[in-house]
Formats: sequence, structure tokens, C-alpha cells
Amino acid sequence: MYDKDISRTDPGCIVFLLDRSDSMKQQWGSSQETLAEGAARALNEILLEVCFRSQGEPGKARHYFDVGIFGYGMRPVAGGEGVESAFGGALAGRPMVGLPELRDKPIAVREVPSSDLGAPPSRVPVWVEPVYGFRTPMCQAMAVAGGHIYDWVTAHPASFPPIIINITDGMVTDSPNSGATLEEWARRLTSLQTSDGPALLFNIFLSPAHGGGVLFPASARGLPAPGPNLFGISSPLPPLMIANAGHAGFAVEAGARGFGFNADSRMLVSFLEIGTRVELRD
Amino acid sequence: MQIQMVVFSAPKAGSAPGEWEDRACGGAVTGRPGQHPSGARLIVVDGATEAYDAQRWVDQLVTSFAPTAGATSAPRLERAAMRAWFALMQDRWALESPGVFDSVIEERKFTEVGSFATLLGCEVDGLDGREPRWHAVALGDTVLFHVRDCRLLATFPPLGPDDFGSRPEGVSTLRSRLDRMSDRLLIGRGTLAAGDCLFAATDAMAHWIIRAAARDEEMVWAVLSAIAHPVVFGRLVDDQRRVGNRAERMKNDDVTLLRLRLLADDPELLVTCL
Repeated sequence: MYDKDISRTDPGCIVFLLDRSDSMKQQWGSSQETLAEGAARALNEILLEVCFRSQGEPGKARHYFDVGIFGYGMRPVAGGEGVESAFGGALAGRPMVGLPELRDKPIAVREVPSSDLGAPPSRVPVWVEPVYGFRTPMCQAMAVAGGHIYDWVTAHPASFPPIIINITDGMVTDSPNSGATLEEWARRLTSLQTSDGPALLFNIFLSPAHGGGVLFPASARGLPAPGPNLFGISSPLPPLMIANAGHAGFAVEAGARGFGFNADSRMLVSFLEIGTRVELRD
Repeated sequence: MQIQMVVFSAPKAGSAPGEWEDRACGGAVTGRPGQHPSGARLIVVDGATEAYDAQRWVDQLVTSFAPTAGATSAPRLERAAMRAWFALMQDRWALESPGVFDSVIEERKFTEVGSFATLLGCEVDGLDGREPRWHAVALGDTVLFHVRDCRLLATFPPLGPDDFGSRPEGVSTLRSRLDRMSDRLLIGRGTLAAGDCLFAATDAMAHWIIRAAARDEEMVWAVLSAIAHPVVFGRLVDDQRRVGNRAERMKNDDVTLLRLRLLADDPELLVTCL
């Protein structure tokens, strides 16, 4: 399991579930960002990284991944509370987008100051904007995303299994939903599979407080709510991602799960990098 | 002494032949046309799948390194000279950059990630003397095997079956990587005899060779020494990619094998594949 390379013949699938509830307006630690701004920035960074990986030949991107982003909480397009695609601009409303199209259709390209003193500003593509409001319908997010992931695994039965990354700062507010608890919705998601294994569900819980975060624990012991619940629905890290974590300097124990708790913004970026890096082939 | 050199290659399964991102080149070094060679020089490089325009980068490296007419930039195989050559290659890469990019992502990939390839460069000298030698440089997991009578004498770099991963050292287009490339460059040497073979292989082939040789060394070198046609090589690669046992299977990657054989006399036959 989990040893299939990503290729244009058998592309991968990465789906982000992005909490857009009201609590995402909180300041993130000592940064000048809200949780919503930090999460959107980290998502845009990882999307840029994934696009980098696909940019082989000049002038074209390779279709290594299909990417979906589902916001839950405020729905900026439809209005009110619920779940909708978090893509904006030309991709608004699209549940899943191939990398070549993603590369070509950011909402905007913005200039941000470079971290190197004296260097010119960096030009940064933006696909996701920070949004917050309403409660935290996480079950519904898994239900909506699950429908699209079901279609995807049906169309790509031999691919590396889908990677689903849930970014949240709050307690689920819609469990049970349609008679199923969050744990049951998570089980339904991870029951979707390709010939290379079940879908991977990783969860990261953001904390506005500074410090005390953990990444990839092998146990939920000592974690306050909702840590144990989110740990319980998170998939064990497959060997290649344990190796990714080791390369990134994280000492990961056997049985580690794709889970982060009380994460700061740097931990979120590391989590996304480690959780989305799969070997590319052609 | 004479040399006989041949290169076999295969793209990843599912890729077109034109998408092969390895390169290999070599040839005799002679004082004057018509003379027996005094030495040989070869290079094998493996462009990274995630690199920007890996084909242009590996073409540039091979063209500059190989003993072709006009390749005046070919470096000596020592650390300082290789460092200067890396810098020259980076300058040339930048000079021949597109200038205008298709998207901001492509522009940032070019400037921030660039291109990247593993490198194995080798020289053979003393072919006109009593003790020919090989002398090689390496960055990454492209490997040279020195074989005599179907027995392995040397593996350079000295990699084992667990040393192949997705993050090898290599030659980068980024100037910020120059110090690291120079520091991590490995240098090796050995003494040759008539009948010896040098095999230079990119990572998928090298990894397969090391694992297969651990099971039956004589068989592996006998097979690789005897391959005389690209179709036979292609069949070997296809078969080994399909092996059921993952521990024995050849990874589906671009595959390249350069074989250099030392001959005491001139070859009796010249075989050309059309």
C-alpha cells in the first residue's frame, strides 16, 4: 500500500477541507495575521509548491494532481453557512481542478515583500482568500468532499490514494449529521480507496495561542478536546511520509498519525509539505 | 589497448522516448586521428523529474563535458576544476534562459528551483601504457561499477541498496548550491586491465544491479556484459520492471547504462544498430 508513484497516467488527488468558521478571525499567536489569513497563505504556498513540481518543460505543466479545496463555515459565493468550493476567480465553484488549469488560473498575482533584505518583492499567485463566519459544519464538509472523491477514485482506480487534509481551529458543530457522527463521516471518507490503499485523512488543529503544538504524534495522550477525537480520525502516516517528516527534521515515532494539534503557522506549512509530497514519476 | 563503448537507454514506462531525461556520452581521447586512443572520457547524468527543463540542463552538461570536437570547457576531474565548471555551466544556463516566461510560476520555478541532475564523470587514461586507470567524479546516485571476470572490483560512489532515495546530491543551476556541490563531490579511482568493463548506470539501473548482484553477481555481470542490441536491453528493463517482488523490481524511472570494455586488441567486428 501507498507505494504507487504519481504520474500523468495515474495522477494523484489532494483535497483540502478549510475551516471558514467565525473563530478563524482570531489573531494567530504573535503574528499580524488571523487564523483565516494564515491558513489561506499556507494553502496558497503549498499550491504554488505543487505547481512548481508540475512545471517541467517550459510553457506547460504536467497533470500530476487533481486538487480540490472545500471551505466550510461561511460560504462567500452562495451565502450563509455550509460547504462550497474555496476556489475563486475563474475556478469558482469547481470541486476539483487539474494542475495545469490551476497553474493558469489563480485569482490574482500579488507582490509581497521578500524575506531577503534588499531583494525585490516576490510575485505570489493567490488561489484562496481568507474568509470566516458562522459555525463549523465539518461533517458536511466531509460529506460533500467525499462525493467528489468517490467520483475521483472511480475514475482513477490504480492511482495513489487521495490525500485529504482538514485544516480547522474549532469543534465540529454538525455532528451527528444525517445520522452519522464525525467519526463515521471520517470512516466513510477513508473507506474510499484505490488499488494502492484507502484514502488518507490528515487533520491539523490551529491554535491562536503561541507554543505547545505537536505534529505527527503516535498517541493522543494528554491532549485536550478536540485533540483525541481528531487524532482518532487521522490516518497513520505511510512510510513515504514518515521519510518526508524525517527529511524535514521531525522525529516521528512508529504509529505516528497525520495529525497536528495547536499548530502555529510554521507547523501548518510543514504539515502541508510533508502530507502532500509523493514521489513523481513521469 | 582499445576501448569499446556503448550506451543503452529506456524512458520511464508510459513516457515517450523523447521524454527520456538522462543523458550519456563518451568516446576515445586520441592524440591524432588514426592513432590508437590514449584514453577515454565519459559522462552519465540523470535529470530530476521535478527539475525545470531538465532536458536542456542535461544536454548542456553532456555537451560541455564529453570529448567532442570543440568541447573546450571540459573540466579536469578534480575539485577546483569541477567547481569552476559547475559555475560555468550555471552562467551558461542563465545566459540561455528564456527571458520571457509563460507564467509567474514558471518564472519563479526557473529562479528559485531551477534545474538539477545527478552526475557521473569518468576518464580512462594510460591506454597506451602498461597500467591504464580510471578516475571519476560523482554527485548523486549515478554509479560506476568496475567489473573483472564477472566480479565487482569497485562501486563508485560506494552506495548500498539502502542508499537510493528521492533526494540525491546533484548539479544544480542555482548559484546558492555551488558550495554544497563542490563540498559533496566525490572523487574515485582504480586500475584497469584488458577485458575489464566499466558500467555507468543511472539510479534505477544502479539500484537494480546492486540488489541483483547481491543474489547472483556472476549472472548479473554476464548478462550486462553480453547485451549487444538496444531491443535486448529494452526487454531486460521491461521484464525487471514487472517483477512481482518489490524488493527485486526495477523502479520505473528513466534507465541508462553505459558500458566501456577494455580490449587488448582491435575488435574483429563493428556492429551498427540501424
